[in-house]
Amino acid sequence: MLNRIETIMAQAKDLNTHRIQNNTITIEVAYISSLCDESKVSDFILVPFLKDELEFQKNISLNPNFIVLTDTAKWSETLLRGFVLVQLEGTVYTLDAARVIRNENPQTQVETAIMGSQVSLSEDLIDSINIIRSRYPSPELAIEERTVGNCSRTRVSIIFDSRRVDPSVLTEVRDKIMNLEVDFLQAPGQLERLISSRKRSLFPTMMITERPDRVTSSLQAGKVILLVQGSGFALILPATFYDFMHAVDDEYDSFWMTRFLITLRYIGVILTILLPSLYIAVVSYNPELFRVQLAFSIAGSRSAVPYPSFIEVMIMLFMIESLIEASVRLPKYIGSTATTVGGLILGQAAQQAGLVSSIMIIVTSVVAISNFVVPVNNMSTAIRFLKYPLIIPAIFFGLAGVAVGIFIYIVYLADLRSFGKPYFRFIGPTKRHSGDIGQVDQA
Amino acid sequence: MRLKGAAVVLSLLLMSTALSGCGFKDIDKRFFVVAMGIDLPDEGKGFKVTLRLAVPSPKTEPGSAMSQIETIQSQTIAEAVRLAKSHVDKELDFGHCKIFVLGEKLIKQGYNDVLEWVTRRRDVQSVSYFAIGRPDAATIVKVQPPTERYPGNALFLAFGTDGTESSYSMTAYAFDFGRRAEEQGLDPVLPLIRKEKAMENYYITRIALLDKSKMVMLLTPQETQLYNQIANHFGKSTVRSKVDNNNMVIAANSVRSHYDIVSGENGTHTLRLKLRVSGIIEEAPPGVYDQDWGKLEAGFSEQTAAEIKTMLEKIQKAGVDPFGFGLRYRATHAGSPKTWEAWQQIYPELQFDIRVKIHIEGTGLVR
Repeated sequence: MLNRIETIMAQAKDLNTHRIQNNTITIEVAYISSLCDESKVSDFILVPFLKDELEFQKNISLNPNFIVLTDTAKWSETLLRGFVLVQLEGTVYTLDAARVIRNENPQTQVETAIMGSQVSLSEDLIDSINIIRSRYPSPELAIEERTVGNCSRTRVSIIFDSRRVDPSVLTEVRDKIMNLEVDFLQAPGQLERLISSRKRSLFPTMMITERPDRVTSSLQAGKVILLVQGSGFALILPATFYDFMHAVDDEYDSFWMTRFLITLRYIGVILTILLPSLYIAVVSYNPELFRVQLAFSIAGSRSAVPYPSFIEVMIMLFMIESLIEASVRLPKYIGSTATTVGGLILGQAAQQAGLVSSIMIIVTSVVAISNFVVPVNNMSTAIRFLKYPLIIPAIFFGLAGVAVGIFIYIVYLADLRSFGKPYFRFIGPTKRHSGDIGQVDQA
Repeated sequence: MRLKGAAVVLSLLLMSTALSGCGFKDIDKRFFVVAMGIDLPDEGKGFKVTLRLAVPSPKTEPGSAMSQIETIQSQTIAEAVRLAKSHVDKELDFGHCKIFVLGEKLIKQGYNDVLEWVTRRRDVQSVSYFAIGRPDAATIVKVQPPTERYPGNALFLAFGTDGTESSYSMTAYAFDFGRRAEEQGLDPVLPLIRKEKAMENYYITRIALLDKSKMVMLLTPQETQLYNQIANHFGKSTVRSKVDNNNMVIAANSVRSHYDIVSGENGTHTLRLKLRVSGIIEEAPPGVYDQDWGKLEAGFSEQTAAEIKTMLEKIQKAGVDPFGFGLRYRATHAGSPKTWEAWQQIYPELQFDIRVKIHIEGTGLVR
């Protein structure tokens, strides 16, 4: 066995192969030292073997951690997952001794909630499942595992509540994962793009979250969760547009304030999508829409601006988008400098230099801020894009163009399906078994 | 292939930025007309159109309102407006023209041409106000009150419910004016704006009654207030009476009115109008609290009823119907041309039965 392994993995310096002998028998041990916890190797194999208090052969067959591996083709794959191979009298056993480096005690960072769970899912699959299982102590919780990626061999777990899950969704997910053709899979976002039916969708049809409470409440609602080894985010499907607008806090905090916040989020989304195009349409086509005061003060502050309104909008949107992008990319320590420089100084200076009007500064900041009231990050990114296509009809057709643009968006949303389930469905909840999408229904 | 398609789309987009055609006109390239005055020309035929154009400024401070006045004379209003465009450097926009002032001489001759132009032009708002200017519209449009924060503000606030709400003026919207000019049995009413000599201010205290083509009569301020109370149930108004040589005034809190047209024997018709006003005494001689309120109320009611009756008879004599009595008659009778003909017979002979009930809620003092 050792010779074969050494030929397969000749380049691996961290491959450890031992042939050891005690009074009675000889065993062969192979493992990759960088992937394995060496204390486990010695505790389970080397020490019992050398002490030989219990006959080692018996020991191996009694200990359920040792699993017989008959397929020789799987040797290298098993080794690469952090298993130890032990050959004893012609039979090859495997022992899981994987040591995974990950963030300890992961804290929620992307989707924070004031009074919700502060612990997020872990980058390790087993830990994540541990977190989920401890919050969802139900015998119905089913966990399936698949391997995706010709090269990365990434483990993907499919988790669902077998009693509540919608079978049609489950079958579709299984099929899609089975038929994936991809070399490298690293993140749930990538998986989402691979398995969604529209490859260039404007809206995410699956939710990506790091919050275990969101995961468990979705499980309870009959949804399917996908976990990817190496990423602390879970993929929840199917999803509706409505789900993306709800923060987990909405179930924890004061009733009226959370309802108000939900309304605020919808208004925020509408504003962030519409304001730039509305600004163009109203300033250049229908200034009678403003009150007189506003019309005059906009006209006054715009009189110094040499370019038409859409150039002005494009300048400001370019600036704000680069600012957001820069603050994501910059190291945390310089991040705040970028926002100060960009937001305060550049905005003020641009207006004083007569490049943009003062109203445009307000429009830009409203657009930027209200974009981030969306609680789920992948939706917020999707919405960030939506304002751009609307600018074009606004330039050519004014308010009527914007109205048509909104109509197109609504039609698109209504046409969208998430794993066969209507995406833009606001009214719920319906019964889980009626074949419709399962929504969180608190009895 | 794909790259080619993207290139085509991109080049189309780039080219189209040069095409930002006819409708596209930035707000700072527009001249907002804030008030428009229409008069008869000093000599010859046609119209004299006076436009007050706002000069926008980012600051809005009292007295900082700047405007430019353009006066053009032409055969028609439409031509006058086109001519005005050649006088200014930016595109004229009537989207914020909230007030149209018609000269007194013009309205005495006929207003239908003006109304046609206003209702047909698309950037004129239906919610803009109409008024009559005395001595002429140009004078009113040219007034620049020193307190204005932005051009036209003083006139805008004088009408509508944003600023002052006076019981001596009323708001005539373009849509309502147009409707009243067409409707059988309901005649237009417009407020009259005066300018005192050497004062940069407006005075709006009277309303003018119009028939289907021109102005017929003017109401006095007192009658204007009565009109507002009956037709618009205008609450912020007063009722006055004279008791024992003492003037007493009630500030109305609520005004309700109701009328029926009752047909009597041998073909006579009576309009039975009920007006109920309740309010607090605002001006009275001392010691009014201890007087008999019932008696005071009766005195108020009697005098008001007499005033109303005089006013209604005056209006009847002028042959106009600003309250819409005729419309009420048509609405409650068979919808045929005959009904309208019948009403035209009835109205000049109509009797008035006015019942006013004034209720004193308090004396305005805590005793």
